Amino acid sequence: LITAADVERAAKTIEGSVARTPTSASETLSEILGCHVVLKFESLQFTASFKERGARNRLEQLTADERRRGVVAVSAGNHAQAVARHASLLGIPATIVMPTTTPFVKIARTRYLGAHVELCGADLAEAMKRGRELVAEGRTFVHPYDDPTVMAGQGTVAIELLDDHPDIEAIVVPVGGGGLIAGITAYTSERFPHVQIVGVQSETHPAFARAVAGYTGGTTGPTMAEGIGVHEPSTIAIEIACAAKVTVDVVSEAQIEDAANLLLEIEKVVVEGAGATGVAAIAANRAEFSGKRVGVVLTGGNIDPRLLASVIQRGLVRSGRLARVRIEIDDRPGALAALLAIVAEAGANLLEVLHQRMFANVSLRRADVDLMIECQDAVHRDRTVAAISTGGYRAKLLPLDEL
Amino acid sequence: VITYDDVLDAAERLRPIVRRTPVLECDIRGARVFCKAENLQVGGSFKIRGAYNAAAQLTLTERATGLVAISSGNHAQGVALAANLLGTTARIAMPLDAPPIKREATAALGAEIVLFDRHLRTREEVIEELMRDGGAFIPPFDHPDVMAGQGTAALELFEEVDALDALVVPVSGGGLIAGCGIVARAKNPAIRLIGVEPEAADDTKRSLEAGMRVTIPVPRTVADGLQVTTPGELTFAINRHQIDEVVTVSDDEIRDAMAFARRELDTVVEPSGAVGLAAVLEGRVAGVRRIGVILSGGNVDRRA
Repeated sequence: LITAADVERAAKTIEGSVARTPTSASETLSEILGCHVVLKFESLQFTASFKERGARNRLEQLTADERRRGVVAVSAGNHAQAVARHASLLGIPATIVMPTTTPFVKIARTRYLGAHVELCGADLAEAMKRGRELVAEGRTFVHPYDDPTVMAGQGTVAIELLDDHPDIEAIVVPVGGGGLIAGITAYTSERFPHVQIVGVQSETHPAFARAVAGYTGGTTGPTMAEGIGVHEPSTIAIEIACAAKVTVDVVSEAQIEDAANLLLEIEKVVVEGAGATGVAAIAANRAEFSGKRVGVVLTGGNIDPRLLASVIQRGLVRSGRLARVRIEIDDRPGALAALLAIVAEAGANLLEVLHQRMFANVSLRRADVDLMIECQDAVHRDRTVAAISTGGYRAKLLPLDEL
Repeated sequence: VITYDDVLDAAERLRPIVRRTPVLECDIRGARVFCKAENLQVGGSFKIRGAYNAAAQLTLTERATGLVAISSGNHAQGVALAANLLGTTARIAMPLDAPPIKREATAALGAEIVLFDRHLRTREEVIEELMRDGGAFIPPFDHPDVMAGQGTAALELFEEVDALDALVVPVSGGGLIAGCGIVARAKNPAIRLIGVEPEAADDTKRSLEAGMRVTIPVPRTVADGLQVTTPGELTFAINRHQIDEVVTVSDDEIRDAMAFARRELDTVVEPSGAVGLAAVLEGRVAGVRRIGVILSGGNVDRRA
């Protein structure tokens, strides 16, 4: 397995080529979450994730001959960019195999970083077949997590976190394949044995959490935390986690979404789904962390801009700042104006008015009006709807899924 | 279960929704009495406070499924009104023998009313059936958000009147006195918190004496809103530690108090809402100079 010394050696190896990301105690998040929160901003790595640490450490171990023959990675995500960047910096030819379904931005970004990208197969498992062929041709495979040198590299996150904040009592770590948590645990269990390590997974991909408890599988559906959407975690990582009695929390997709919003609004930091799970875990288990000094690894910031837009918009709806109200009005001149006057009086900002007769399920003499309004908060939204109701209209506040 | 801060949060939520009811003053047996006139509240009772506070905290998706409640009276109106104000619907089960005025008022607020025969089916069965079609159940008293909402009635009273020696509150399931008691204790730790029940419906009094929740047979009393057979689990957990005493009043004493309210305070109070005033008039709250009383509701059938 791996030791704290391996992690310390990795830190020396990657020093200067992988960013030493900032750590910072967040006063406001601490207040909201009821514990002292220290954030580790791995989203500020050049390729916006901690994956560079493991990839760099792995690549540095290659012999001159291996370097000449090149490396292969199979990934549609952060690992692809990490390998592409560091192989390129080290002058090692890299081939990244990505499924044909990979978003174009990611392909372009990986190419930009200097790797040769091959598109092959409908999913990662099929892409892996092509990866094996390339390995058979003599290239070295760089595994995203199931490799002790990769794990040791990822573990360097803990060194930096504890260097900056030696009084940390627990570290919350997002878990997919287990590389990061294995490296962190290997380091802390020797050097800071009193520090509690808590893993986090999405409820739709709880393979590691189940493995620690002795079960296999468990994947149920898609997750916004793609970075940790792993079916088969590393057995080495599971062994390390079990030996150190690491616990793994599971959070819901809604909690991940809320956490991403919280980080955006409070810390003004963009994180991908996986990167938000640490904060989600604290929010979901306040009692477990209450009053403690807790380090949270914001593992990555690569979120699709459209997904980010939805996260923000849905967050606005949940907090009451954006709402859609359906109101039945008389179909006569002036009726809409009278309604809008109430909305204006309530101080809500009108974003959109949809006035429909054709598709509404109301009588011929009536019309449905959908108003999209902007409010200060949920109380203000409810006050606005109440003002409409009190004005004699039948109003219906539409839920998220009917927006 | 709930804290003073929860009541403050509820007050913020309710501020634009509820009416700030007046405090009516009079002298009874040498004490100055301050009556919080919740009979003048929107919906005719304090119930909108708890119902709205609970419903407003549902997620939008839960809220959109519509509110569900079971009640013979004021809670039904409170939930119907809350649904209307929150832009959703309400389905409310009411017993066949509920006062017609309360049934009509609930229907007028746009709620769908499902009638049931309370001799043939239990509340649990009726609720289960209603919930089969989905919906968010708003309990009449045994819920933290409901209790916190009811507490805002006392909060308003204490904002206007200081140095009260006693607070007298009608008790049914115990939600109103749970919320109001938390406010009273926060404002004046030494205050006497007195609950009032009809003689026949003294389940909370007995429960406090027994130190555990006691169930009584369905009581017969003129106070139709106080016909609960056992205190709520959550309300009792709070009330057992904060109520100083529960006193009871007879139906005749309740009628006298209603007449007193009409004559001296110029306001109409329903029987359930008058029990606190009755207790003060009968001298069951003795040895105090400044008394707060919650007149909890005013929904009487004026045609009768």
